[in-house]
Amino acid sequence: MTEKRGELGISYVTIDGIEGHLARVELPDGTTEDWQLASLPKGVREGDVIRIDVQGGDVEMEIDHQETDRRHALGQRQLDQLNAQAPEGDLDL
Amino acid sequence: MRRVLVLAALLGGMTVAQPAPAGVLTIRFLDVGQGDAVLITAPEGQSLLYDGGRSEKRMTELLGQYSVKSLAIVAASHGDADHITGLTPAVQEFKPKFFLNNGIAANTQTFSKLTAAVGTAGTQGLLASDRVINLGSVKVTILPPPPGMPKTDQNLNSVGLLIEYGTFRALMTGDSETAETAGWLKKYPASKLGPINVYKSIHHGARNGDNPAWLKAVRPSNVVIGVGPNNYGHPTSEALALYKSVGASIYRTDLNGTVTVTVQPGGKYALVTEKGTGTVPQTRPTPPAPSPARPPSSVTYPSCAAVRAAGKAPLLAGQPGYSRKLDRDGDGRACE
Repeated sequence: MTEKRGELGISYVTIDGIEGHLARVELPDGTTEDWQLASLPKGVREGDVIRIDVQGGDVEMEIDHQETDRRHALGQRQLDQLNAQAPEGDLDL
Repeated sequence: MRRVLVLAALLGGMTVAQPAPAGVLTIRFLDVGQGDAVLITAPEGQSLLYDGGRSEKRMTELLGQYSVKSLAIVAASHGDADHITGLTPAVQEFKPKFFLNNGIAANTQTFSKLTAAVGTAGTQGLLASDRVINLGSVKVTILPPPPGMPKTDQNLNSVGLLIEYGTFRALMTGDSETAETAGWLKKYPASKLGPINVYKSIHHGARNGDNPAWLKAVRPSNVVIGVGPNNYGHPTSEALALYKSVGASIYRTDLNGTVTVTVQPGGKYALVTEKGTGTVPQTRPTPPAPSPARPPSSVTYPSCAAVRAAGKAPLLAGQPGYSRKLDRDGDGRACE
């Protein structure tokens, strides 16, 4: 899902959660790291996919709304599919 | 009613590495570092894993350490990585019958990996709803998110569990925030929510989790905080003061290791810690840890600009992301 094109310096990270002034960010390798919220695009929210473009000495970060929506729709479809066919009522295990 | 036996544990280490004993309910608040994972095993042997912590490796170790042989059901309180990462190896190994969830997908790879594992294992997804799961003779009541929670917020859609065995009652409610607990207070009578013998602290003792109105209803005798080194200041002095104000004994997985509760038929219970004897509420905030542990080799930065953007400059040799190509003068300090 997460791709990284090293030669262009473009990568995508995902906001796993926001805790006060920190954002827990899922890196391209799937690990998480805490970043200062202030270092991320203004208005960033949990679940947003952030596109990071490094060209020369410049870094641009932006919320990739299209990619955010695409991933959310895909993930939701997968989860809905798993939850379909669930039995009703109380369960005995 | 209060036939309670609390053994704060000088037995540390003697019982914690044992499999759950038959004939009693065993609840283990697992030491997974900063995160939550609670393993519940019925007297008849069926197990439920509520959250899995932030590390696949750690969860795999713990499942082995406690000789877990099967899981009937895994539950994700919500989709944050510090709650679900360890569920993936648990699902892969034990192929549980059900995967209880809040019905809201997270965008992360971690969540995708879990749902893929659930699908591969043939595990049935189970959207949280008002129902009871009888885990053998243990009654597990699901507390689904109350109406009106915004679907874009995982914390506010945490799934709670009320566990009852005889007169014993335990309650866990993920990373809920005040809006969700207020919704539950509106939805359920106070007699359903409390008193609670053993209570999992909301959101690792965050400032926006437990609140006076909620705890007044829950009336916990013992609070267990799932917490490890973190940058967020968990548990906060506010949360600790709140637990103290309701007279609860406080246990912390960062200080006490895994906390194990065993409940006899009828409801008498004992609480045992892996190390230490539980903690008294603190009056000063815990200083935040410098940074979470993670594999040093897992981060690469394409340039010093990226290092600075991440707020990591300068990088010292040995730190995650340090590389010689970023350290032009070779002095062990990159991106100075």
